[in-house]
Amino acid sequence: MTRVIASISTDEVCAAVKSFWEFFSRKSKSRFDEMYLPSATVFAADARRMEPARLMLVRREREIFSSGSFLTATLGPIEVQVLGPELAIASYPFQMSITRTLAGGKRVQVEVPSGRSTQIFQRDDKGRLRILHEHMSSAEPVSPKELPAIPAPPRA
Amino acid sequence: MNRAATPRVLFCTGGMEKISTEEVRKSIERFWAILSGKTAAKLEDLYSPGAIVFTGKAKRSEAGRLTAVRRSRQLPGASSNSIAEVGAIEIQFAGPDVAIAAYTYSFHTQKTQSDGTKVQISTPFGRATQVFQRNEKGALLIVHEHLSAAAPPEKAAQ
Repeated sequence: MTRVIASISTDEVCAAVKSFWEFFSRKSKSRFDEMYLPSATVFAADARRMEPARLMLVRREREIFSSGSFLTATLGPIEVQVLGPELAIASYPFQMSITRTLAGGKRVQVEVPSGRSTQIFQRDDKGRLRILHEHMSSAEPVSPKELPAIPAPPRA
Repeated sequence: MNRAATPRVLFCTGGMEKISTEEVRKSIERFWAILSGKTAAKLEDLYSPGAIVFTGKAKRSEAGRLTAVRRSRQLPGASSNSIAEVGAIEIQFAGPDVAIAAYTYSFHTQKTQSDGTKVQISTPFGRATQVFQRNEKGALLIVHEHLSAAAPPEKAAQ
C-alpha cells in the first residue's frame, strides 16, 4: 500500500506548540481540547499516574478554564524530532504561573519555574497536528501559595 | 500554512518488521537492569545517536549520549542492592517503526557521596515516557526519553 503524506516540518511543530499554550492561557477550551487525539495519554505535571487526555481535560476545565483562574507561560527553546511523515516530538522547558480561585473565595498561586514538556504530535486524517502523548514535569518541587482572598463586592 | 508548498514524500508501509509489545518490554527491562547494575550491557547502546533525554531532575533536555555516559559513570556495582520496579507499561504504536512506552516506576539505590558517606536514595513515584524507533539495522533504540518524579526523591543516610 502506498500513501502520499505531507511531511512534518519543524516550523509546523513549533507553531502547534505555540497554539497549544495560546489556547491554554486564553482559556479557549474547545480549541485546547481539539489539540489532543481521542486516544491521547498524558502525564500531568502533578499526577502520579498517566491518564487518558479526556480525563485531564475535564480536570483542567474545572481548575484552569473557570472564570477565577489565570495562567501565564513562557516557553524556552523548542527541540523538534521528526520521526516520520506523520509523527514528531517537541521537547522544551517552560515557566508557568497559575492562579486559581477555590470555592469560598480562597485564591492559590502555583509557580512552576522549571517546567519540562514532551509532546508527541501525530497528523490526523484532516492533516492537523494533534497530541498523541504528553509528559509534563517540574525539575523542582512545586507547592501552591495561598493569596489574599478578593473581598466580596459591597451589597447595595 | 500553505499545504501546496509542503514537500511531499512517498511513504510505503510494508517491508519493515513491525515492533512488537514484547520487544518494547524487553528493551525497558534491559534499560532498568543496566541502571540497577544487574547487567554489564552498555547503556549507550540503547540510545539512537540523535536521542534527546529529560532526566529526572534536569531543567533542560540533553543529548541521550551525554546522559548515557554520565549514568554509566554512576552505575551501582553488581553487588549493590539497587532495585527498580516497573509498573504496567502502556504502549502506543505510531506507525510500523515507532512505539511510545509510558509507565510508572520506583527506584531505590545507594550512592557514595564525595565525603565517603553512603546515602540511600528512593524515587517511589517515578514516571517514564520512552519513545523507541527501529533503526536501519533493525535495532530498537530510544529516540526520546522523559523521566520525572511525582514526589521528590527521598534521601536517607546509611
